[in-house]
This record gives sequence, C-alpha cells and structure tokens, in this order.
Amino acid sequence: MILIEKVSKIFRVGRNEVHAIQNVNLHVLQGEFLVIRGPSGSGKSTLLLTIGGMMRPTTGRITVNNEELSKMNEPERAQFRAKNIGFVFQMFHLLPYLSVLENVLLASGFQRGSESRERARELLKNLGLSHRESHRPSELSAGEKQRTAIARALMNRPSILLADEPTGNLDPENAEEVIRHLHEFQQNGGTVIVVTHGHSADQYANQIVFLRGGEIVENPS
Amino acid sequence: MSTLLLILKEIAHRKFNFILSLLAVVTAVAIYIAFFTSAQDSQRETTRLMRDIGYNLRIIPKETDMIKFWEMGFSDSTMPEDYILRFAEKTQGEIQYRHLLATLHQKVTWQGMEVLLTGIAAKEVVPKGVAESSMAPFAVEPGKVYLGYELVQKAAVKNGDTVDLFGRQFQVASCLPETGSDDDIRIYGHLKDIQSIVNLHDRINEIQALECLCKEPGDPLERLRGQLETFLPEGKVIQLKAISDARREQRFMLERFFERLLPLVLVGCAIWIGALAFLNVRERRFEVGVLRALGYGSFRIAALFLGKAVIIGLIGAAIGFLLGTGFALIFGPEIFKVTAKAIRPIYFLLNWSLLIAPAFAALSSFIPTVIAVTQDPAITLREE
Repeated sequence: MILIEKVSKIFRVGRNEVHAIQNVNLHVLQGEFLVIRGPSGSGKSTLLLTIGGMMRPTTGRITVNNEELSKMNEPERAQFRAKNIGFVFQMFHLLPYLSVLENVLLASGFQRGSESRERARELLKNLGLSHRESHRPSELSAGEKQRTAIARALMNRPSILLADEPTGNLDPENAEEVIRHLHEFQQNGGTVIVVTHGHSADQYANQIVFLRGGEIVENPS
Repeated sequence: MSTLLLILKEIAHRKFNFILSLLAVVTAVAIYIAFFTSAQDSQRETTRLMRDIGYNLRIIPKETDMIKFWEMGFSDSTMPEDYILRFAEKTQGEIQYRHLLATLHQKVTWQGMEVLLTGIAAKEVVPKGVAESSMAPFAVEPGKVYLGYELVQKAAVKNGDTVDLFGRQFQVASCLPETGSDDDIRIYGHLKDIQSIVNLHDRINEIQALECLCKEPGDPLERLRGQLETFLPEGKVIQLKAISDARREQRFMLERFFERLLPLVLVGCAIWIGALAFLNVRERRFEVGVLRALGYGSFRIAALFLGKAVIIGLIGAAIGFLLGTGFALIFGPEIFKVTAKAIRPIYFLLNWSLLIAPAFAALSSFIPTVIAVTQDPAITLREE
C-alpha cells in the first residue's frame, strides 16, 4: 500500500522556487495499477521519483508498505528501494558495458551465487530475451532494451514497480508488449504506477490521475 | 558481480578515457623515476668529478704570515700532527669538514732546482659517519716518491728509478703528468719520510679538507671559521672559493631543478587525471542515477570511481617505473659518462610507486567522485 499525504516538492532554481508538485494526496492499494497522466512539466516524474524514495518531499508524508519513506535518510531509502521498488525509465538506462544478463544481475547488487543467475535467466526467458542474454545493449532493439530494463526492475522481487514513460521510445507494438508485462506483474500481486502521456496503459488501470502544474486535477480537459 | 569486475568492464568499454588517465600516471611516475635514478647517478658523478678537482679547504697554523703564505704557496709555520685527530674527534656530530689529510710542505733545493717537497699522510682522517672513500690523489708508501712533470724532465727519471733525496734513497713510484701548476715542481712523499728529511718530526703545516655541503643558510666560510675557532683555535681556514662554488653549484643544481619541476609535473598530472575523472563522472551520471534507483549506496558508487583510479595508479606505476628506469638506463650512460657502469634500476622505487601512484590517482579523482556521490539522481533522471 502506498499512502501519499499532502506531498509537495519545491525546487530552488537560483533565487526562484519551482513548485514541482503541490499538496498531492493519493492512496494506492497493494496490487493496484495506477496511471499518472499529464502534460510535460506537470510534475509526473517528480511525483514518481518521490514515491520511489529517490527524493524527499519538501512537505507531506509518504508511507510505503507501512514504512514512512519521507522520514528515512538516504542510506535507509537506498536499502528500501533495493528491497521493495523496481524502476523502469523511458531511456532504459542500461549499462552499455554489461551484457543483458549482467544488466539484470546488477539489480542484485554484488551478490554471488547461482541463485541470482537463475532468477535473471528466468526473467529474461519470461520476457522473451533468452537468446539475447550475452548481447550488449547496443545490439538490442528499443523494445528489447525496455524488456531488459523490466527484467532488471523485477530482479529483486519488488512489491512495487514504478515506470516513467516506459513506452515513450517504443513503437505501438512494443509499447503494448511492455504494458502487458507490467500488467502481468500486477496480476501476480504487484503494485504498478505508470507515468505516461498516452493512453496505452489505461485498459489495465484501476486508477488514473491527472497532474497539471504539480496538482492533481479532477477534470483533465 | 563484483565491484572489481564492474570497474574492469567499464575500463574495457571506455578505453580512451582509461588510456589518457593511465598516460597521466605513467608520465608522472616515469619522470619521477627517471629523475630520481638520474639524480643518484648525477650525485655519484659529481662526487667523482669533485674528488678529481681536489680539496677545497686548507687549515693552516693560526700564526701563519699570509703574505708569505700566498708568496710561497704554504705556511711558514707548523703545528703538531695530532691536531688533525683532535679536530676530527671534537667535530663529531657537527661536521662541516670531511676527508682531512695532514700534509707538510717545504721549499728545498734538489739537484740544483727549487722544488716543493710535500709529505702526505698515509691515510685520511674521516670523521665518524662519513664514508671512507679516499679523496687523496694517491697514497704514497714509505720509501717512495711521486715526481712532478718538470722535475721528471729535468732529472730524466722514469718509474721505478731510484733517486737521492738529501742522502736517502727513494724509489720513483710514479712520474706525474703535466698539470700546469706548481705541482709540476713538486715531490710527493710519505709524511713521515718528508718530516724526517726536513727535520720536522710529527709536525705538519697544513690540513687539507673537503667542505661538507650543507644547505644551511648563511655564509659557509663564516660557519667553517666559527667551527674551527671552537674546535681548533690554533688553526685558521682558507676556502678555495672557486672549487667550493663549483661543488655547491653542481651539487645543488639538479636538486633545485627537481624541486621546481616535480611539483609542476605532479600538479599537472593531478589536474589531468581529475579532469578525465570529471568527464567520466559526467558521462556516467545516468548510470549513477540508475545505480541509486537500484539501491546502491554512496560507498559502492564511490568505490566504482576510486577503485578505477587505484587500478589506473597501479598499472601506471608499473609502466612508469619500467619507462623511467629504461630512460635512465638508455640515456644515463650518455649523460653521466664517469659513472655509466654504476647506473642501475632502483627497485625500492617500484614499491614506492605502487603505493604512491594509486593514492595519487585516487586523490586526483576525489573531487569528481564526491560530485558523483553527491549528485542528485532524481535531478539526473528527470533530465530525460
């Protein structure tokens, strides 16, 4: 369960303050599929990264799986992320010098042993990438890169998957496949939050919220 | 996957950055090693060359008439021979002199010629703590003499001949080559023999010495005179300024050069490594962001960058040592001809290089690493 209460995030740019998100309240139950939609600069990514513990809110409280994320320091949040949260980014952000398998294993930290390797191989198999495991990211298509990123995000068996424009660089066919994989994760009990411009994830969403100027608006039009 | 493997894979991927960084370490280490090895050679060569030039201090009896001294080339007074031992003992630990040699000079007529008779002690007195390498041009055995060039010509003698010196027979140990100085009319003999000939038993009129080269401030001659006043009030010191200055200049020239050049090289290479590390951090900012998202802490991220710097330092130290030593071995013999055979690798420098170069590279990469660790991953990831 994710509980977001009166969360605001203010950035200082020189002498100016930018209110990226303002007074946001959200309640996402375990196993839900939430879509956050809004125009560029509306604060979608900031909200997602704040939920994921990548940044602390300026005000407000974020509780994830009964732990108050907004009170944790950086090492505690890092540990929390590693155990509970998987990230998928628009630009994939695979490490170019690692193979597909190694990129997935990266999420398990520096754990040794065949268990991690088997888990990574199983994920790649489920995502249709078994034949690519020794390939470098530069040798993959955009869809394959994003599926590798999903495998990496799922490596540590997180309970929450946060995806920032996961289909932004994909053609409709690959976009559909990526969304389907996110849905599969949800079907298996995981919580999914997707930030997007488009409507490709709407069919699986339990909840859709619209952001404009950092605030949740009731009527997007 | 271990941190080391991750570092090695990144190095293999960004070879250009790695090679340029390595080049900086190799340059710094190679220059240092080449200079240090050369400096050792230079010091050896300087010592050897300066030894050939000779002693640069003359300690003579205090009552010496200096007008006569400069006219005759030696003191008209004498002092007990054991002054040299007393002086060496008293100056232990406060040495401004080394290689003390007792001598007795007299002007005599030999075979109708005005000649200088010089008795040289069989052994130099070396203060405690000073290496026992002889500065004397030669060691004269009792019963033997060395003859100056002009005397050899006039007397028509050769090595091994026997010559008469005031009723005593001496074997010519060596006929000396032309020097263009009053040494060409000098007869060198064992100190005891010469003392006996001129009837000045256990007396000397000069202690020849080598000034110890110290970097202390102030006038060295004043210091030497002060020391002599304390330890041997019966004597006074004359410094052969030209030789002293030549020694000092030669000895300190290279050291001064190193003192100025090495910091510049180190600072230059540190900036070079730091700039490349900064570019590396900048290029990898999304990678750092993703690692943060995956739960990697500051320590692990810092280890990736500092670990890379340490590897660069280790490899750079080994290559730099080989190149620097190679440079000294190849070019050293051409530069330092006198001690060419003595030039050899200084292996303890490799140990030092392997310790210092990684620390140096890590230190140079420290600020970029701090930037990598403290950069806000959320801001980076929002850039996309």
